[in-house]
Amino acid sequence: MLFDTTQLALERSISGASQRHDALAANIANATTPGYKRVDVDFHGALNAALGSSDARDAVQRTAFSTQVDQSVGATQADGDTIDIDAESAKLAANALDQEAAVSVAKTRIAILRSAMGIG
Amino acid sequence: MSMFGGMEISATALTAQRLRMNVTAENLANAQTTKGVDGQPYRRKEVVLQSVPQGGGFGSQLNAAMGSSGVAPGGVQVASIAEDQTNGKLVYDPGHPDADAQGYVRMPNVDTVTEMVDLIDSQRAYEANVTAMSASKQMFAKTLDLLR
Repeated sequence: MLFDTTQLALERSISGASQRHDALAANIANATTPGYKRVDVDFHGALNAALGSSDARDAVQRTAFSTQVDQSVGATQADGDTIDIDAESAKLAANALDQEAAVSVAKTRIAILRSAMGIG
Repeated sequence: MSMFGGMEISATALTAQRLRMNVTAENLANAQTTKGVDGQPYRRKEVVLQSVPQGGGFGSQLNAAMGSSGVAPGGVQVASIAEDQTNGKLVYDPGHPDADAQGYVRMPNVDTVTEMVDLIDSQRAYEANVTAMSASKQMFAKTLDLLR
């Protein structure tokens, strides 16, 4: 097995961060849309559950993330919108860092593999 | 959602917010227009925004095939540009050609303070979306960096 569970998890994590980014971008886009309900992707939770299962490798590979309407927040604006643009911007920045961290680690692990194979 | 879904979503918002700014500018420009195209005082226009689901692209097909469920994050579009039907205030100006028999002129229902607030709102929303878009760009660049 060239790629271990960690590498697969990193790959899924990058994918999940990308999906979450779309959701957060949609929230910011709809910051002034009356009645819009914010959406989010809990990819950390899904990956955590997969990593904790008995056949982690298979579970991680099969992990799918779903974009869900966030029911936990009430209206923050008079028009029923549940978007707080500051909170969304902060989440967007944090998510970009999440993705960057996963990419950096994945890249370094690939570099280690390459060097072990004598092609680095 | 295509590969550049996040950017497309931000782009729809940039378009919508720019149009909002243009409409606000039109309202401000016509704050004193007592004779609009229909001969009536100008009525302020308001942009009605609605969210629009995106999907059907490669990314959404792939996500569906991977067993992903849930809602598709969507962009925003301008549903309509509505006219504010409230009446503007009457100003006593008997010398004005549009004055009625009592000497009152019906002014447009544009409140410059409201318009300035709208302008700032759309400007800030625009900036937030530009930030989101550049974050998308950086994320794609980082992911592509894996290939190097």
